[in-house]
Amino acid sequence: MLSVEELSAGYGDILVLRELSLAVARNESVAVIGPNGAGKSTLVRTLCGLTAARAGRIVKDGVAIERLAPHRRAATGIAAVLENRRLFGELSVKTNLDLAAREGDRRPAQARRFDHASLFELFPFMRERLGASIQLLSGGEQQMVAIARALLLQPDLLVLDEPSTGLAPKIVKGLVDVIARIRRQGVGILLVEQNVALATEAADRAYVMSLGRVTRAIPPEQWRGAQGDGEIAKAYLGA
Amino acid sequence: MTTTLFIQSLLAGLTNGFVYGLIGLGISVIFRGTRVVNAMQGDFALVAGIAACLALDWLGLPIAVGFLGGIIAGALVGWAVELLLIRPTQARGGSEDSLLLVTLGGAFAVSAAALLYFGRDSRSMPGFGGNRSLDVFDAAIRVHAVWLIAIAIVVVVALRLFYQRTPLGQSILAASIDPEGAATIGINVPRMRTLTFMLGGAVGGVAGVLVSPLITIHYEMGLLLTLKGFTAAIVGGLGNPFGAIMGGLLLGLVEAMAIVFVSSGYKDVIAMSLLILIMIAMPNGLLGRRGRVGG
Repeated sequence: MLSVEELSAGYGDILVLRELSLAVARNESVAVIGPNGAGKSTLVRTLCGLTAARAGRIVKDGVAIERLAPHRRAATGIAAVLENRRLFGELSVKTNLDLAAREGDRRPAQARRFDHASLFELFPFMRERLGASIQLLSGGEQQMVAIARALLLQPDLLVLDEPSTGLAPKIVKGLVDVIARIRRQGVGILLVEQNVALATEAADRAYVMSLGRVTRAIPPEQWRGAQGDGEIAKAYLGA
Repeated sequence: MTTTLFIQSLLAGLTNGFVYGLIGLGISVIFRGTRVVNAMQGDFALVAGIAACLALDWLGLPIAVGFLGGIIAGALVGWAVELLLIRPTQARGGSEDSLLLVTLGGAFAVSAAALLYFGRDSRSMPGFGGNRSLDVFDAAIRVHAVWLIAIAIVVVVALRLFYQRTPLGQSILAASIDPEGAATIGINVPRMRTLTFMLGGAVGGVAGVLVSPLITIHYEMGLLLTLKGFTAAIVGGLGNPFGAIMGGLLLGLVEAMAIVFVSSGYKDVIAMSLLILIMIAMPNGLLGRRGRVGG
């Protein structure tokens, strides 16, 4: 469904992604882990078109999208929750959702999996807080609104950049459940995370990134075995 | 001092206040949609005034149609400024100060172009209701000034509804609050910025066609209007259109009272001193930044 082929990108004179390649199949959940500075967020930004690709390709369902303007990429079925969520803080929860829903409504009918009712099922608190300004929500609630907003774009691939950052352990546990339920709707996940506990529980397999490259692909058998123990963290994140 | 004189000054202050408010409103529209402080706002009004004047003089169009032409001219200038000045500056990583400087340069360019093609002389323009006036407790207010006040109020209310209720208005706000977040949910951010400048240009155009019949059109009026409008917008809170109108009214009324109780030579000294005090006490303006969403 998504294949990234020898992608290079960076800022000014600095190349951050160096011929990075990875792939996500339909309805698969794949984690990208790696230490700070590995280029994880740049990967997400380049997938969204916020950072320009210097070389290489991003292919979504057979179509090269690396030259597409950022606001056109949601229409290809990719939705991203960026680092720091990037919600419209001064607007209400409802307005944040409505803006995305208008874009999502343009997706073909068979791609539309989410509406307000199904989101309320996923995030019950949201029904009560629709009129509230984003600034009044807790960090965990904001993260859920950011995910809900991305889902209303009706994607078949959801890219999450460090969703656990700044959240209490209990809320991170809830995130595992949310990701599992989103997958049950037929949406694939690309989870960029430093929190290995979350990544091992929410993803089928993983790529390890270092210095802008994928240095290792961990297959499902091995990834599942890594669950819970600190070995992955020790080996790849220097934790 | 007589009551009539007092009321007369009050009416003049009220009219001027709405003019300053309308200019400030345009500055606030552009600031809240693009974070650009636009020093050309008064020149949008100048161009609109000239366009309306020519439409009425040469083509002999009805006043309302000529005014509409002026407002459209204002919107087109806004569009051109965004496309030719703002966008290239931003593409090269221009800071907020360089954008302010670019619009200031644009203001002088428009003024010089007006001098070149429109001439050095002031020109008068007919307004709504000709030169007729209404009596208010023995004081007089021109029918056109009443129209100006009514239209200014309609414009403020319409803008508020636009930002609060319409998808386009909300997309413009979203694109300005977080451009990257907006782009990832399918909002065409560059287009929202262009539309913002067109909207700001149109609001400047409304101010221009409405003020021209009261003060005559002159090639240097742009920067003067910008200064007053900018003051109104800052006093009211730059992010809030209602604030701009309130700031404009305060400015207009204080000027008028200064003329009545002191002397017309001191009106700017007194008005500006008061405004400095207000800014020291309330650095975010009368309505502050909180109003940015609602207003």
